[in-house]
Amino acid sequence: MKTVLILGERAVREARRTPDALLPTLLIPIFFLIVNTGQAAKIFPTGSTPFLEGQSYAAFQLPATLLLAASFGTAALYLVEEIENGYFDKLRATPISRGSLAMGRLSAEALKSSLMTIVILLIALPFGIRIASGPIGVVLLIVLTAGWAVGYSGFLQFVALKTRNAAATNSAGLIFFPLLFLTPNFVPRNLLARPMEIAATLNPVTYMMEALRSLILVDLDWAVIGKGFAVVAGFVLITVFVNIRTMATYD
Amino acid sequence: MTPPTDSAPTPDASGPTPSTEPAITARDLVKTFTGRSGTVEAVRGVNLTVSQGEVFGFLGPNGAGKSTTVRMLTTLTGITGGSATVAGVDVATDPDGVRHKIGVALQEAGLDMRQTGRELVVLQARLFGLSRADARTRAEELLELVELTDAADRLIKGYSGGMKRRLDLASALVHRPDVLFLDEPTTGLDPASRLVVWDEVRRINAKGTTVFLTTQYLEEADQLCERLAIIDDGTIVTEGTPASLKADLRARRGLDADPTLDDVFLDVTGRQRERRAGEVSEVAS
Repeated sequence: MKTVLILGERAVREARRTPDALLPTLLIPIFFLIVNTGQAAKIFPTGSTPFLEGQSYAAFQLPATLLLAASFGTAALYLVEEIENGYFDKLRATPISRGSLAMGRLSAEALKSSLMTIVILLIALPFGIRIASGPIGVVLLIVLTAGWAVGYSGFLQFVALKTRNAAATNSAGLIFFPLLFLTPNFVPRNLLARPMEIAATLNPVTYMMEALRSLILVDLDWAVIGKGFAVVAGFVLITVFVNIRTMATYD
Repeated sequence: MTPPTDSAPTPDASGPTPSTEPAITARDLVKTFTGRSGTVEAVRGVNLTVSQGEVFGFLGPNGAGKSTTVRMLTTLTGITGGSATVAGVDVATDPDGVRHKIGVALQEAGLDMRQTGRELVVLQARLFGLSRADARTRAEELLELVELTDAADRLIKGYSGGMKRRLDLASALVHRPDVLFLDEPTTGLDPASRLVVWDEVRRINAKGTTVFLTTQYLEEADQLCERLAIIDDGTIVTEGTPASLKADLRARRGLDADPTLDDVFLDVTGRQRERRAGEVSEVAS
């Protein structure tokens, strides 16, 4: 655990020194929030749209923004850079566990994502978005998005370890967009056309989005929140496992 | 340079603990890589014994298997066949044990360009289990040793090639390793920086650390190494002290004067010098 924190601290320092890599990960999700809300807000007025639970359409769109921001981790790309310049071998030649090597950067992604979620919530609040589940809900929002960030960065880090190629790692990141568009991103699941509803039901990201949405719009609906946490827990376990395995057999 | 192993220098207090077993052994070491284009046998049965306190040179042309051998000995790549020990620890069965005892400075001075020199050395020390305070103290000592104290708080991306090499050396020494692996430590450096690195290697070795050095520069091997092995096409083609290798070639060829290590290298690897457009280059015969 100590070595995870040491490597995590280094990754945080690295992020602090490269704000140009961090800023787009905040600005692009906010851009999508503004654009999506602008396109559909008139179709779904607050007063006459039951699924908005009395809030604006921006509140309905906020989970997609948080998920997008949490999916823009830099761990994998920095890892490819280190593989290419040889520093990764230097770390591999130290007697730390391969698990620490895998988790070092991912722990920093959890922290970065938490800060990003807080910033996005602070930006959203003046626009009338409320977190219906209160302070506990805010904490759960932060934990959920941080978990997603670890899982998704873990997936990309796995691609980086396998391909050792920046272009392939970058391309793998794009998989988030089809996954996002196969969720009830613009309307609740029960309002989707049947084929889309089936696709959304099969898509694990849907349960993440519904959990986040529930925390923002409804209150503490543990049945919905539980599914979101189950998805994140499974995702994190799988990606961390494959990362550690790949680190251990890396040649 | 230290004298031969039977009269190796007494390690000072900061050096590794001496013992009588070899620093490195390799027995029938084999490495094959399997890819889409088939199987390549990069190392084909290397046998080596390096004594404690030696500076051992490992020479060979590009692609001969030098770096692959180093990567196996430093646990960075798996062993396909044979066995190896470093500082008495089996490389295949106890890689973590080996990592505790070795320092590694690989080709290209792999460093994290977004850290300062001090941060990098402190980080390395902490990964070897030093407390934050001890790591800072050790970093201070090592940065002074490699004459980087003034540049310690600058980002590494602003360092020159020579400074990066010296920093890489410093970071390989944080835990006072028994065996230091240097993979082409001076490739790409200007002559002045190369001399500085040579001095560092001598200083490190004088403290009792065994140095395993790969290089393409025969002058470097001649200057630094007590013994050396030349590898070609994955197998060791000759081994001995620079003087004995030269004397052997002189005797075999009936030369009037001592040949250079270049001549030995060309002789055992079957390469020849060829002049093309005014440039002298080596070509496989």
